[in-house]
Amino acid sequence: MAYLTLSNISKQFGDTVVVEDFNLDIEKGEFVSFLGPSGCGKTTTLRMVAGFETPTSGKIVLGGNDITNQSPNQRNVGMIFQAYALFPNMTVAQNIGFGLSIRKEPEAAIKERVQEMINLINLEKHADKYPYQLSGGQQQRVALARALANRPQVLLLDEPLSALDAKIRVSLRAEIRAIQKRLGITAIFVTHDQEEALSISDRIVVMNQGRADQIGTPFEIYNFPKTQFVANFVGSLNTAVAEVTDPANGLLSMDGVQFISAENMDNLHKGDKVRIAIRPERFSFAAELRKVNVVDCTIENIMFLGSVVRIQVKIGNTKFNMDTFNNPFLELPKIGDKDQVTCSKEAVLILGSA
Amino acid sequence: MSLRRFPFWSWIWYLLGALYFILPLYATFTFSLEMKRGALSFLAYEKAFADKEFWHTFGYSNLVAFLTILVSALLSIPTAYWIRLRLPQARRIVEFITLMPFVVPAIILVFGLIRIYSSPLNVPFTDITVIPPLTNFKVGTTLLLVAGYTVLALPYMYRSVDTGMRTIDVATLTEAAQSLGADWRTIMFRVIFPNLRSALLSGALLTFAIVVGEVTIASFLGVPAFGPYLFLLGQHLAYQPAALSFTSFILTWIAMGLIQLVSGGQGQTVGAH
Amino acid sequence: MANTTISASSAAPSIWRKWVGVVPFFLFAILFLILPSLRLFIGSFTNNEGKFTFDNILQLFEQQSILSAYWLSIRISAVTAIGGGIFGFLLAYSVTVGGLPKPLRSMLITFSGVASNFAGVPLAFAFVATLGRTGIITAILKDVFGVEIYKTGFNLYSFLGLSLTYMYFQFPLMVLVMTPALDGLKREWREAAENLGASQFQYWRRVALPVLLPSILGSMILLFGNAFGAYATAYALTGGALPIVTIQIGAQIRGDVLHNPGLGYAMAMGMVVVMAISLAGYSWLQSKSERWLK
Repeated sequence: MAYLTLSNISKQFGDTVVVEDFNLDIEKGEFVSFLGPSGCGKTTTLRMVAGFETPTSGKIVLGGNDITNQSPNQRNVGMIFQAYALFPNMTVAQNIGFGLSIRKEPEAAIKERVQEMINLINLEKHADKYPYQLSGGQQQRVALARALANRPQVLLLDEPLSALDAKIRVSLRAEIRAIQKRLGITAIFVTHDQEEALSISDRIVVMNQGRADQIGTPFEIYNFPKTQFVANFVGSLNTAVAEVTDPANGLLSMDGVQFISAENMDNLHKGDKVRIAIRPERFSFAAELRKVNVVDCTIENIMFLGSVVRIQVKIGNTKFNMDTFNNPFLELPKIGDKDQVTCSKEAVLILGSA
Repeated sequence: MSLRRFPFWSWIWYLLGALYFILPLYATFTFSLEMKRGALSFLAYEKAFADKEFWHTFGYSNLVAFLTILVSALLSIPTAYWIRLRLPQARRIVEFITLMPFVVPAIILVFGLIRIYSSPLNVPFTDITVIPPLTNFKVGTTLLLVAGYTVLALPYMYRSVDTGMRTIDVATLTEAAQSLGADWRTIMFRVIFPNLRSALLSGALLTFAIVVGEVTIASFLGVPAFGPYLFLLGQHLAYQPAALSFTSFILTWIAMGLIQLVSGGQGQTVGAH
Repeated sequence: MANTTISASSAAPSIWRKWVGVVPFFLFAILFLILPSLRLFIGSFTNNEGKFTFDNILQLFEQQSILSAYWLSIRISAVTAIGGGIFGFLLAYSVTVGGLPKPLRSMLITFSGVASNFAGVPLAFAFVATLGRTGIITAILKDVFGVEIYKTGFNLYSFLGLSLTYMYFQFPLMVLVMTPALDGLKREWREAAENLGASQFQYWRRVALPVLLPSILGSMILLFGNAFGAYATAYALTGGALPIVTIQIGAQIRGDVLHNPGLGYAMAMGMVVVMAISLAGYSWLQSKSERWLK
């Protein structure tokens, strides 16, 4: 029995359907991310779990209790907001102890718990400071401590890192994940940043226009995207239109160039036009290692991105990006050169009809 | 207090407030219609507007308002511009000065103005007269009146202009214009002024509202302004003052409504006087 | 102003050139604001023979009629500040956090802009038409409820009547100043509090009201100053019958009723001091609240 279950959740605002038929089972201690662009319904779904929105239909069950219609101050879920939402008139210690004082816990117990939390987030020296005296990253850590002090059943994080600088974002997300693992607490993390989701989640729910397009581990989502949207949204992708030439053997033709794909073509017929997709890092130069697909190409552009070198090649009439690791001793081709690139048949994804 | 619950108390406060605000207006309006015995009519309005003195004083107040707007705009715009672009150090002291009219309300201001300008203003320690006693002649008192009103209106006009300049980022606009070869005259008239239209309009309407109804400074300086005229009218007539009061309220409403339209936001606050 | 470069002037009399743009403003301020104020200030320390003295200031605190004038002004300003503050806050609350529809809010804001400017003669007339002896409310109370308020001792031309009239511009002023502050209450604070188990009441008591308190207090102080400095409404309504400070000063301007010009100036200065204190209080509280509500 899953710890947190969302069954057939829908949410409508007037005539607009914001979340549609959302189903998810979360195990205790799992870290799940809701990933998607603005307006896809991820925040609304999170807020329904928190109780700030009520589902138009569907059920939410937490630890065996139906909390669908429970008011937010009864649920014992901890929420972290994008804008920190620390109470400006209280110190760090008072903020963290707020939930406990509402519950009328004894002074000593509150003090002890607050101290425990402050140590957890490494802000011992700042216990008596006010929010406006802290940086964004520090404020968010206090918000985390404030939510955790209450011993919530689930931790809900609404784009907590979006307002922070890039470097802080990276270090804080690792810290959040470490704390979550240490405490074994179930967590739902909402973000539009795929790198965030991929790096710290046990599972990811990719959402698109109110629906869950795919639910899976980061590995699955990245390497085996189920819909065009997921393939496009997560990681970068080369796409092109190709014609099916031999469904039984997985043969396609793009601009006259033959590709072999490992995808299931049972439902396709010769002559069907489909959209194929190949991740940039799945290409390599044929001179190094020949895989099943070997195609001719012209070197269009070479962009040095640091650890990765992105080479734009033209196959047929279509431009493809090829990513290869930077190697100071590797001789790169020159623009205008004619060369050959290769990729496996598993690398050629079919994303539906064109 | 989310959309889940009906905001019962909010409606109560709002309706109570509406009642309190509307009743006096309603009372004034109905009273103004009762001039003709036994029937509702606009007779009070007819009579009020037929009075030559009304047009004389109303016209005078409008003239003074116009002059005040002119002077305060001419003072505010270059100053705000200069401070933004060249002299940020002066900002604090200028803002302090624009706060002073709150500390020196109309009655105090007119007190000081009269005492100073009822005798000639000389260069200190000499007999050289810089300004003759303004209160001694009509144009002088009008000048003094405009000056006093400018002081009263300055906080609003200056603040309006300053905020407007900040919104349009006047420093960057100036740099862009200069890089395209414009001289200061072009910058002022073709770049700055046109973009400040809404701020100026806001400030102007507010100034207009302050000046036309003002009675404290006007009566002490003895000028034929609308405020003292209305007060005098109220001493021995009943219906016409009510009619004119209601009219002035409508006028102020129009002015404020225009400000809202023009500034598309909060508008500004004016205190009592 | 021939030079148009923004960089600091390189010519020798650079200080002069730097300040030339603000000279008209300062000149105007000196001539028509600072000089008059200075005149009053100096005058309050001058006795009838033109010599320096502290007597006038002392008399402010000794002469009974003056003390009671100040006390009356303080009372009326305090009453309308507190009353106007509370009800104005409730009005502002109703259209912000209180959740009334947007059109009602813009109506209230526009109207507040008008009403806060509606002081003086027209306001006095309006209230005479409402609560005067032949006023509409007086009539309604008599005809419908059988209550003759003037028989019970009520009088529009009294402390109570003037207070009621002052409210007409105090409520709106409070609304205009508090609305931005209430807008500054972040929705997330309420949600975070709820999330941590607080009820609405607990949220207001422990978060919202403490955060709003500097704004509320500051605004009430603003209202206090506003009422303290008002002249026209009081004069138009009571004709000088209620001896508040502004009325006294008005009488002093017309003719030296105190038989001591220095004392008149001292009264004016006393008023300026009260206004200055209230402005300082308002500014300080504003800056405190801005830190939290930005």
